[in-house]
Amino acid sequence: MKIQTHLENLENYRSYLAIEEITHEFFRKRKYLRMDLPVLSPSLIPESYLEVFKTEFNYFQKKESLYLTPSPELFLKRLLTEGIGDCYYLGRAYRNSEPNSSWHLPEFTMLEFYKLGINYLEMADEVLGLLKFIKSRLSRPSFGMPGNKHNDINLKFDKWEKYTIAQAFEKFTGITHEELFEEKLLIEKAKNKGYQTKNATYEDLFSQIMANEIEPRLGRNGRATLLYDYPWELASLAKISADRKTAERCEFYINGLEIGGFCTELNNYKEQEKRFFSEQLKRKQSGLITHTIDKGFIEALKYGLPPVTGAGIGFERLAMTFIGTNSVSELKLISIQ
Amino acid sequence: MKTNAGNLKKGEFVYHMGEIWQVQKADFYSPGKGSALMKARIKNILSGKNIEYAYKSNEQVEVVDVESIEMQYLYKDSENLFYMDERTYNQYSLPISAVGDVHRFFKEGDKMYVYMHDDKPLTIRPPMSVKLKVIEAEDADKGNTVTGAKKSVTVETGVTVLVPLFVKVGETISINPETGEYTGRV
Repeated sequence: MKIQTHLENLENYRSYLAIEEITHEFFRKRKYLRMDLPVLSPSLIPESYLEVFKTEFNYFQKKESLYLTPSPELFLKRLLTEGIGDCYYLGRAYRNSEPNSSWHLPEFTMLEFYKLGINYLEMADEVLGLLKFIKSRLSRPSFGMPGNKHNDINLKFDKWEKYTIAQAFEKFTGITHEELFEEKLLIEKAKNKGYQTKNATYEDLFSQIMANEIEPRLGRNGRATLLYDYPWELASLAKISADRKTAERCEFYINGLEIGGFCTELNNYKEQEKRFFSEQLKRKQSGLITHTIDKGFIEALKYGLPPVTGAGIGFERLAMTFIGTNSVSELKLISIQ
Repeated sequence: MKTNAGNLKKGEFVYHMGEIWQVQKADFYSPGKGSALMKARIKNILSGKNIEYAYKSNEQVEVVDVESIEMQYLYKDSENLFYMDERTYNQYSLPISAVGDVHRFFKEGDKMYVYMHDDKPLTIRPPMSVKLKVIEAEDADKGNTVTGAKKSVTVETGVTVLVPLFVKVGETISINPETGEYTGRV
């Protein structure tokens, strides 16, 4: 890898700073507390799809493994159990083994925020409020947006284009509700569509069909698209719905690109512990770095996480859609690749 | 030959739905929650049509075995470009649609690599740069010396290119044929 400078991106960078400033203003107005958090942690939440960066703290003969956090969730939820209230983090997050691409850098900026007492669909209103706020502030001449070559954010943020996952599969892929929620049937259907199904899991095929047949068509009709009610297999840290088939989780898309997601947070510590072990096992099986499981996180949940919904947004991706660049790297003055 | 989709690289040829495609771009993509994918833009070597396709990153993809052979570009007609293998004097034709806009920068007699599979040409490997003579140029405004100012000139293959103001008729310039950008004077 090499360090490169990109002064040609200066105008985009200035616009990025403006969006950052507006975002802080939004959360300040809504009385969220801004959180300054560590990015090095001795333990992490095990997630089977993420690889982490590992480093070491050295002091004479004493060595301790530390990891760069792939998300601030483990810190924020601890504080939430202790009563911090509505809060947000806008800062760095790290994911290893995910090379630079148009939409992603291994070192990226995450916007994560939590609001108490609301569910995932109410959080959708809060996220829409943020999008609307950024758009209206950017149109003020004081921000200037010099880098906005394509000042054509024609997107309206008055409401979402909304589909449940089942509706989206039915509409864009012809896969029925019954097929989507039955592993065997989904694999069969994928095979008929020409996808390779050998050694593929339900999650693999779900993601591949989403990426090929659904995602490119989202957020293209003048509004951002909200997908919600994911199969429980893709629940991660989301609460399972009353139907026991889906998780209270949403993702939203603009111009075919996933910008962020949110879910009603799982606050059942037993269920969380179970998921921790199964995720850790999957990590082992896929040969990912075995990191220390954050047991303190389970302890915190045991103490009691109030009903809360959390949202995570890829901040560079969000900025890209407002600035009109085609890649994340066009926002940066320094690149490492 | 098979490869892991996670290793796909720009320029490689793959079989997809029974046809041969060339990888134009391949980006690793990991959804927020879910399996990792390799999002590729692939170009059909017959029709020149581009599509996006997301592979599972651990999926096995059939790669086409190709050989690249240096050939001489002879001429073109309305649909095809004609090449000759100078070692065997065999001639081959390639549809313009398979090569794309880059052909507008080729001069008869230019040498470049042609990708062959089973003695059939698939497409060419565009040269990193081509050298072409400027045959027409508008005079630059005398007072305009702002750094980065550009003017447009016509080169000997008839294409127009944006160049710095100091470039004159009769000079030979080098151009990146894939982007159509001026890269320097020769």
